[in-house]
Amino acid sequence: MLQVMPPGHPPGAQAKPTRPELSREFIAVHKRRRIMDAIAELTAEQGYEATKIADIVRRAGVARKTLYDNFDGKEELFLATFDAAVAELTARVEASCASAEGGWSERVDAGLTAFLDYLAEQPALAKMCMIEALSATPAATRHYEDAVQRFVTLVRDATPHDGDLPETIEETLVGGVSWIVYQQIRRGETERSLDLLPALSEFVSRPYRGGGVNAGTRTGRRK
Amino acid sequence: MLGREPGGESDSTLADSIKRMDRLPRGRHGLSPEFVARNQRDRLINGLTDALYEEGYEKTTVSEIGKRAAVSKSDFYKHFESKDDCFHAAYNEAVASIGECVRSACATEVPAEWEARVRSGLAALLGLLAREPALASLTLVEGLRAGRGVYDRYQAALEGFVPLLREGAPRTPAGKPVPTAMDEAVVGGVASMLGRRVLAGETAELGALLPDALEFTLTPYLGAPEARRIVSAG
Repeated sequence: MLQVMPPGHPPGAQAKPTRPELSREFIAVHKRRRIMDAIAELTAEQGYEATKIADIVRRAGVARKTLYDNFDGKEELFLATFDAAVAELTARVEASCASAEGGWSERVDAGLTAFLDYLAEQPALAKMCMIEALSATPAATRHYEDAVQRFVTLVRDATPHDGDLPETIEETLVGGVSWIVYQQIRRGETERSLDLLPALSEFVSRPYRGGGVNAGTRTGRRK
Repeated sequence: MLGREPGGESDSTLADSIKRMDRLPRGRHGLSPEFVARNQRDRLINGLTDALYEEGYEKTTVSEIGKRAAVSKSDFYKHFESKDDCFHAAYNEAVASIGECVRSACATEVPAEWEARVRSGLAALLGLLAREPALASLTLVEGLRAGRGVYDRYQAALEGFVPLLREGAPRTPAGKPVPTAMDEAVVGGVASMLGRRVLAGETAELGALLPDALEFTLTPYLGAPEARRIVSAG
């Protein structure tokens, strides 16, 4: 699930039941990834609190020692998984924004599409990061808020600067998008996150455009 | 803390005079048992809300709540099964009182302009939260971020603001209402920003966010230039 591949390994390579040809390093990274996948799946299924180390090692198919060789414990594992997911998500959103052709409006669409795509592709991670992380532990709440802040910066960088806009505009926009996505995930419709694109795109773009619902269509206002 | 209504009608005069008292008078005070019970329950809820804000959830024990409320431990258990039960009751009352505050602020402006009602509702919301940091923390931080199973209540509270916002809101040029997802995103966006400020310990300054919150809320309906014009007109 998480794209944590060892350096220099061909993409798409899979760990096989018998793997004498696989490097020690590959196996180690692969195990680490399985542990991170396991906590994402389990917290998505039953919540952070109910997820025990024993469940995680069983799901990942690794020894308890392997988990503790890689992580200090459940919280550190949770935070590492969260941070890896956020790093990948922001990288995808940034890349998508950077390669968008046109103006800021296309960048916003491209960024939102990459964001929603990722969630739809990774429903367990989506639930873990967008719902469980809010309340798992105080440190998780801080990591969540830091992630929100990164998205605030992403929106600020993608949109036109207008000195007259409220200083908090990106914060409220990111908060609004998170809330809509949060509910979509709670409804168990994470795989259909892209359905939200038109409404969210409109919601995020509106403050940067002249005119509202009563003042011209979107395309008419685009630069 | 919260301006909760006292119980029986006959007690109302006395209720007014003891509203701000820490405890009821001892001995024969002639108060109805219903009133006494209601008053105790309110004090326990206030005690939990304040303790939670000042001490955190772990240190908010039943004894601590009882001490703050001047209610004995055994009386606590007449009202609530557990601390968690008391927490849920406090949460429900807190979101209800916020909803009521915003609704009545909007109602006083009827049949005024939609944007005037939005302003009035937001001002009431920010004012209440700024005055009541424990209430703000309970509803915005503890509720969503502490994972104590009040998510549904939080969601219901936010959804409760959507009809207030929609009522009389401008429609699209095609005469259709603005999509519901947009209303929800506006409400969620404001709540999220407020939650972040409360988490950062800036509750007392929430009132200063009124222009920002108002412009953000009006923009999807009126467009950025019109929203800005209304906000700067004051």
